[in-house]
Amino acid sequence: MAQQNVVKKESEMAQEGFEPRILGFFCHWCCYAAADSAGVSRYQYPPNVRVIRVMCTGRIDARFILEAFRCGADGVFTGG
Amino acid sequence: MAETCRQFLADCGINPERLALEWASAAEAPRFVELITGYVNSIKEKGEIGSAEGEADSETIKRRLAAAVKAAEARKPRIALGNLAKRLHKEGDFSKEAIEKGVSSKILPALRAERIKEELLMLLAQGPMDMKELSKALWADEGEIEKPLSQLVKKGVIEEKDGKYSLADK
Repeated sequence: MAQQNVVKKESEMAQEGFEPRILGFFCHWCCYAAADSAGVSRYQYPPNVRVIRVMCTGRIDARFILEAFRCGADGVFTGG
Repeated sequence: MAETCRQFLADCGINPERLALEWASAAEAPRFVELITGYVNSIKEKGEIGSAEGEADSETIKRRLAAAVKAAEARKPRIALGNLAKRLHKEGDFSKEAIEKGVSSKILPALRAERIKEELLMLLAQGPMDMKELSKALWADEGEIEKPLSQLVKKGVIEEKDGKYSLADK
């Protein structure tokens, strides 16, 4: 019984502490710089985003986004 | 492009809100922080991919996305995308409605057709299936499946036996 409770608690915790994996495509000149300056000025923001820097948001293709989801991303954030 | 992705994701059984496109200039760090925090929270609410309302289960999503990646590489949808961009430029109407309408009438059918064809091959690689099973697994009605299916039968990739379809032996 005790063990069952532990298992239940663990699964509940996993639900509560769900950390999504998000892929970010950031434009080198805009969002990437904004993210950089946010870091420099010590703003707090969630660490869930893995960033890929592109030289321009226009470079992003539908394929990239689908591939990201296929690889298991829970979300894709495109920042221009 | 973003609209195409959104409509295609919905077609694949994924909540299109999982894709965000936002603008923040280099000088707008506070705005960026706001956007990213809001977005991460919205995904946290939705949960893992495949668990939000109206989404397909994770195995279906995996298979479907593999087909979708191939569909996005295919020639026909890419030509449709180019043609739509050209038309919008010529008409000078870049309103949301015009783009949505153009994508849903021109690009999505091309992407969907390719997706169904690729997914058909993936499903049949696992074993023979009949029309009803295929229609259910592909989220498509039988009329939509018939065309790519008969083309593949003609090519000799797929064979039919007692109403069941399977990959042809090589």
